[in-house]
Amino acid sequence: MEFSWGLFAEQFARTFTFWWVIVPSILLGLIVGAIPGFSAANTIIILLPLTLAMDPEIGMIFMVALYASSRLGAGIPAILVNIPGTAGAAATPLDGYPMTKQGRGQQALAISFVCSTFGGLLTTIIALLAMPWLSQVAYQLHSVEMIVVMIFGISLIASIAARDTLKGLIAGFFGLMIGYIGADVVYETPRGTFGFLELYDGVPLIPALVGLFAISEAFSVIEAESILSEHGRYLMRKSGWGETLEGVRLAFSRWWHIIWTSIIGLIIGVVPGAGAAIAAFVAYQQSRTFSKTPEKYGTGHIEGLIAPESANNGVTSGTLIPLLVIGVPGGATAAIMAVVLQYHGVTVGPDLFLTQPNLAYGPFTTMAVTYAMMILIILPLARYMSRIAVVSTVYMAPIIISFTLVGSFVPRGYVFDMYLALAFGVIGYIARKTGYHVAAILIGVILGPLLEQYFQRALRIAEGDLMVIFSSKLGNVMWVFMLISLVLPFVLDWWRRRQKERQAENA
Amino acid sequence: MDEHSGRQRPERKSIGGDLIIPVAALALTVYYFTTIIDVPWTAQVSAFFIGTILILLIIALFIRTAFALRRGEVSLRLGRIIEPVSFIPKRIVLLVLTLSYILFILWGAGFTLTTFAFLALAMLLLSEGRKKRLILVLSTVLAIGGWLLFIVAFETRFPAGPFEWLMKGMF
Repeated sequence: MEFSWGLFAEQFARTFTFWWVIVPSILLGLIVGAIPGFSAANTIIILLPLTLAMDPEIGMIFMVALYASSRLGAGIPAILVNIPGTAGAAATPLDGYPMTKQGRGQQALAISFVCSTFGGLLTTIIALLAMPWLSQVAYQLHSVEMIVVMIFGISLIASIAARDTLKGLIAGFFGLMIGYIGADVVYETPRGTFGFLELYDGVPLIPALVGLFAISEAFSVIEAESILSEHGRYLMRKSGWGETLEGVRLAFSRWWHIIWTSIIGLIIGVVPGAGAAIAAFVAYQQSRTFSKTPEKYGTGHIEGLIAPESANNGVTSGTLIPLLVIGVPGGATAAIMAVVLQYHGVTVGPDLFLTQPNLAYGPFTTMAVTYAMMILIILPLARYMSRIAVVSTVYMAPIIISFTLVGSFVPRGYVFDMYLALAFGVIGYIARKTGYHVAAILIGVILGPLLEQYFQRALRIAEGDLMVIFSSKLGNVMWVFMLISLVLPFVLDWWRRRQKERQAENA
Repeated sequence: MDEHSGRQRPERKSIGGDLIIPVAALALTVYYFTTIIDVPWTAQVSAFFIGTILILLIIALFIRTAFALRRGEVSLRLGRIIEPVSFIPKRIVLLVLTLSYILFILWGAGFTLTTFAFLALAMLLLSEGRKKRLILVLSTVLAIGGWLLFIVAFETRFPAGPFEWLMKGMF
């Protein structure tokens, strides 16, 4: 598993020769990433017959390029119409959408593209260099530590997403309870299913995403002719290529911000199950906590867009590390990749680096090449994509409702899921109007089943003793860190206010 | 006549709508608890742990609301949820159209025809009957575009109806 620059250079050059696979995969990934319901994982499943027929190396290149580009694609509707393409982009609208409303959509897209590709590229290289050490992160986290990670994640997201922390926490824990719906994994007892057989496997994520974000947004935006403010429309009319270049400049001028938030994404990506959504919110929270202008976050602040977009692209390479090094997929897409490789008789794990280095290192070089090609393809499109924001809500709202609603049908093929999306739409609409952030509910729905699995595992090991959640040293450190992270923003706010008051008194 | 009638009292914030999510969350939690009474402890504890935290948070919100009500700062009117009131009829009709969209897909009208009908009706509703020709063209293009992208290109198992069967028969 020794890394060598020679091997990397050879791999890199070799991967470029597969541009004919990478370019169409990028375009496909951008489209499916931008449509709620068509994540990379779903698309790879839909195209499984094609993927299985390919040579394993080409199949891997196709899947990795699709995966990386769909992550970037998911941020586009999040910025332009406040609807993340996947849950990983749930933190992107916090500052991306206000930028669009102000008529800076083109600039926001350019910033998102630069920090996604730069962050993705950087973390791919770091992942290659630090693979042996990063893989140890996955080894250190057992059920107890994962319980803390999940509760930490939801508390953090809840406190960030909503202006009122209490409301945010209620939304997050409400989401967790919704995520608990379904048959028990061990005893198979149906719980909270309201008698619906379709809920025995739990609450499906795509209808939840579609309802909470898309349907509720469509019902909200009809109040105005356009999502843009009057000034925003004026800015949009006079914007040219200069806006894209300004976005690139603004992103690169905050290069340090991109680096450290993408590294947060990489580390969280290595933790199996944690995912891009948690990474994006953690990066956003850290960015706001250490910012000199935290009050600007949520109003169209550039750092507030850079943090989640860099982090969720940092996750992409992170999720592949446990898959390739220890054979444990770090996310849904990585799990599907493992299935495809196993179908071809390729066993993932440490031996792969010795027996088939092309396949072991290939995903990372493919990712690097994908990001390099992607920025060239997508950046010129920012100007045209941003025009979506000009479309009147008269046309936009029905389009969002119909296409996302049918998108919720895709993963399982149940009409029930469309009703479910509508029900989540009603919940989302009420949540939006009353200050319970929909992102907190969604992340709760995602984390609920995972949290329950880890809880059950920990309790079975501890023979039912609830105190097991405080039995790990690492876990206890994380509990303390969680408390600090929740309390620190309030303490810093208080300290900054005091400083300002003192300055005012002295002046 | 009231001597204070000339003075304007500060308007109380309507927070009745803010209680809908907590009440729904409370109802779900209580219902969920009733469905896990007979399962073993290890299968109950996780839900009880999270559910109890949720109930405590909701109680905290209710107490905060009660104090604000007592101080006269807020009222229990629905407020933001129904505002602007002039949009209520449009929202209700749009909701009915959305529900009908699902029902018609379920009853066999298929993706393309139902999408066309929904888009056309919903756009006409929101535009208050203006730009009919543009709306019809747009609905047709989008419905056929959706069919081409999702059903033909991605081979997605979208609900099929007369249009999809006809196209399948022709090509």
